[in-house]
Amino acid sequence: MRTAKEIINEFKAIADNPRKAMDDYKKETGKGAVGIMPVYCPEEIVHASGYLPIGMWGAQKKQISKARTYLPPFACSIMQSVMELQLEGVYDDLEAVIFSVPCDTLKCMSQKWHRPVPSIVFTHPQNRKIAKDAANVFAREEFNIVKEKLEDILGVHISNKAIKNSIAVYNENRAACREFSDVAAEYAAVVTPSDRHAVIKARWFMEKSRHTALVKELIAALKAEPAPEFKGKKIIVTGIQVEPYDVLDIFQENGFAIVADDLAQETRNFRQDVPDDDDALMALARAWNEFDGCSLATDANKPKGQMIIDAVKKYGADAVVVCMMKFCDPEEFDYPILLQEFEAAGVKNLYIEIDQESTAFEQVKTRIQTFAEIL
Amino acid sequence: MEFNAMEASAKECLAYYQAKLDEEAWEAKKNGKLVCWSASVAPPEFCVAMDIAMVYPETHAAGAGARKASMDLLEVADEKGYNIDICSYARTNLGYMELLKQEAMTGQKPEKLANSKAAYVPLPDLVITCNNICNTLLKWYENLAKELNIPCIIIDVPFNHTMPVSRHNKEYIADQYRAAIKQLEEITGRAFDYDKFFAVQEQVQRSVFWWNKVATYAQRKPSPLNGFDLFNYMALIVCARARDYAEITFHKFADELEAKDAAGQYAFGAAENEKHRVTWEGIAVWTYLGATFKGLKNQGAVMTGSAYPGLWSLVYTPGDLESMAEAYTNVYINTCGPNRYEEFYKVVKNSKSDGIVLHLNRSCKLMGLLNNEGAEYVNAKLGVPYVSFDGDQTDPRVFTPAQYETRVQALTEMMDENQ
Amino acid sequence: MYTLGIDIGSASSKAVILKDGTDVVASAVVQVGTGTSGPGRVLEEVFKDVDLTQEDMDYTVATGYGRFSVENADKQLSEITCHAKGIFHLVPSARTIIDIGGQDAKAIQIDAKGNIQKFVMNDKCAAGTGRFLDVMSRVLEVPLDQMGKVHFQAKEWAQVSSTCTVFAESEVISQLSKGLPRESIVAGVHQSVASKACALAYRIGIRNDVVMCGGVAQNAGVVDAIEKELKQSIIVAPHPQITGALGAALMAYEELMKANK
Repeated sequence: MRTAKEIINEFKAIADNPRKAMDDYKKETGKGAVGIMPVYCPEEIVHASGYLPIGMWGAQKKQISKARTYLPPFACSIMQSVMELQLEGVYDDLEAVIFSVPCDTLKCMSQKWHRPVPSIVFTHPQNRKIAKDAANVFAREEFNIVKEKLEDILGVHISNKAIKNSIAVYNENRAACREFSDVAAEYAAVVTPSDRHAVIKARWFMEKSRHTALVKELIAALKAEPAPEFKGKKIIVTGIQVEPYDVLDIFQENGFAIVADDLAQETRNFRQDVPDDDDALMALARAWNEFDGCSLATDANKPKGQMIIDAVKKYGADAVVVCMMKFCDPEEFDYPILLQEFEAAGVKNLYIEIDQESTAFEQVKTRIQTFAEIL
Repeated sequence: MEFNAMEASAKECLAYYQAKLDEEAWEAKKNGKLVCWSASVAPPEFCVAMDIAMVYPETHAAGAGARKASMDLLEVADEKGYNIDICSYARTNLGYMELLKQEAMTGQKPEKLANSKAAYVPLPDLVITCNNICNTLLKWYENLAKELNIPCIIIDVPFNHTMPVSRHNKEYIADQYRAAIKQLEEITGRAFDYDKFFAVQEQVQRSVFWWNKVATYAQRKPSPLNGFDLFNYMALIVCARARDYAEITFHKFADELEAKDAAGQYAFGAAENEKHRVTWEGIAVWTYLGATFKGLKNQGAVMTGSAYPGLWSLVYTPGDLESMAEAYTNVYINTCGPNRYEEFYKVVKNSKSDGIVLHLNRSCKLMGLLNNEGAEYVNAKLGVPYVSFDGDQTDPRVFTPAQYETRVQALTEMMDENQ
Repeated sequence: MYTLGIDIGSASSKAVILKDGTDVVASAVVQVGTGTSGPGRVLEEVFKDVDLTQEDMDYTVATGYGRFSVENADKQLSEITCHAKGIFHLVPSARTIIDIGGQDAKAIQIDAKGNIQKFVMNDKCAAGTGRFLDVMSRVLEVPLDQMGKVHFQAKEWAQVSSTCTVFAESEVISQLSKGLPRESIVAGVHQSVASKACALAYRIGIRNDVVMCGGVAQNAGVVDAIEKELKQSIIVAPHPQITGALGAALMAYEELMKANK
């Protein structure tokens, strides 16, 4: 049996090299990859085609220069990196790219996609609660269009049965990831923030059943030994993503362990399963409208704050760290409400900025260290 | 002082009706009727049919900006933790809402509210939002509803990634209209007034007709209409299209413009003063209306082209919810690139513009991020030069007259060369 | 017992020697910061006139951006913790601290025991920091140490409103060319810095006493602008530049006491 460390290193290698993941998949199956732009694209449809859904989350410490032709400096940090990579030709070997447009910047990005790779754009409904039935019907039709366009581009047929199968595979992966997140919290003294991130990030580049198997192997390896006592402080992070590894390492250096996350790149994707429905596309539609707690999913009740506070209680967290993606309007809007809710509930919190272009982390270090000194 | 709509000028009507709308909102509050804060291109028909008074935060913020009263409100928002990256209309309004909220809770006017030159409007009992002009309006109104613990009516018009507007898109929106009606029945405790609704729809069509008519005067060469005036009159198409105030004012304005044209009077006076015609892409820099207008006037450039008026070209068949759905979703910035650029091209062409000024509005990513693509599309077809300048709609810290003047001068030099 | 506090910032290096956790026996400030000769020189300076050497120091704490490159430091702490500690020691009634340094600005809320409750920082943007004043001092051709004096000659304050230092520079240049009096623009520049600092303070809530520290606190014009913005008087920490190093030396003493228990 492999050690937890060995398995984590395998996750890290995959998370650090999406290109290799894509090439390996093609060698093995003869099928390429379909790019999945952030956020909440119906990956299961791609999975059902036999092609590899591969996440496009930009890069770490990426210098932006060519992208400036197409984006002003105040466009969202992830999109800057994605555009830069696209102009460098990094995405040219994808079969297609799928865009969702839940924010204004993504709407624009979806129209800025340069050839050669064909793009498929779909829109999520945002009147998800009061007009739920109508929203389900609309989303189902949008997903159907995605399916048809994919079939066209890939030259395959994607059946309802295949999508249902993929949904089952994804739900199993979601459950495994939820379990991993909890086990990682329990084994905080063993699983560092960077380790935790690599395990979860790797799911964006792996065929999901493979990822599930590896996660289960890791959980077994961890549980083989009793959990050593974790003497540091427990935090919950919220935002779009927490990268690069430098930031995660700063958390670790200051004695912090991430016991749960509310990140668009991580738990927000596996917090809720896709419900059961004979009509697979309708199941995916319902999943979107039932989804709670992301700044990109409109809900006038704004449940995210309470969800985080509940998680703080559940995991015995000492504090919440708001990891604000630079220039992300939807997350920025949620912040003042979160502040009020945290204050009312007595939840200590810190605010740091995530910028994919950053190469120096002194400011983040100062804030996190001070926070550790306060707690 | 009695106001005589028959004899007043369009300008007087504009001022009078804007103030009247705010008064009516206060009257409504006093009489226990409902007040609704609404996004600028959200459908007012449902609320007005139920006798709800409408207040428009975007127009309110624009007015605050024009009166140089936005900084105080932006600071309030800043103190609450609103990032300056966010749309300044939202920050101005959320700051203003916070002051009104404090007043409501303490019974005393906070100093910034007492000193504010912004229009004094009542807090809402409900809000209605529509994302045809941006998704920021979803987040902004989420926050208003949450802060004030009031209902939020959402009219979600999904981004049209394919044109023409798809059937399932229209059906979804029409279904939301029906859901909104139910919501209003719950909120008001009354049955929806379908007769009044139909009458309001017809009124909206009349308002839109006269608004569109006014906008066409800028297409005449030379132009009797200065495009910057449209920014001001815009307030009524936003705030009063469901009432006859907009129709009356625009009808007057159209008559005045017709008369000016007939008398050989144009935007800058004599015909030869119009040396160039430009399209202005984006909203006004409300905090620097004078500087931006003069910067162009000094170069003899009249602003004749703007895509803004078209946002309220909400033409539909009264009584037909799907037709109404299509009207509210088919706004050029809510459509895919090819359609959007083509609509922009029509604006430039119809206004007979020789140049384009792109306002890279720090507050507006949906408009700003595709500015260059739009301008290049037009340039390829018409050979019209363009320049971009940095500004903001209501945050006075993001604009510098020196940069603007330099860029406008450069554009003029390019336009001169083309002649 | 002697403790040593070293604060290596972006623009300057500071050191304080503390005896028995109460008496400042020596302090030094050198106007160059991290990555230069500053750290070495400030240590030479602080030991210059006292009969002590670094070996006599029982505990050393380093703070500031350059804290991880100080050799022989027993511990590194963030400058927020150290500034709060230093200020609370000098002004026990302090509850809101406004610190404007060479490259950042912060607001810190402390409680009656001197513990930090909240803090907010501007650490990304030159506007509102000492760097902004450097740029403006050059454009206006008024030496930095004269800016405070010139400020009080202004009859009216110009508007310097831009969020961006580069924009503000062009704003100031065009005001100069329009013939606005230099002193008015200086005052306007100070108000710009003050409004940004106060924005940070408002975010964490203003509680009295409000105390200002950091290099920019030596500029009486900025202090005046902050007082006008807050509509109340504030306390300028004595020796505002060394409060971080003082706090570090105090924290060093606390570490010693903890170890000795």
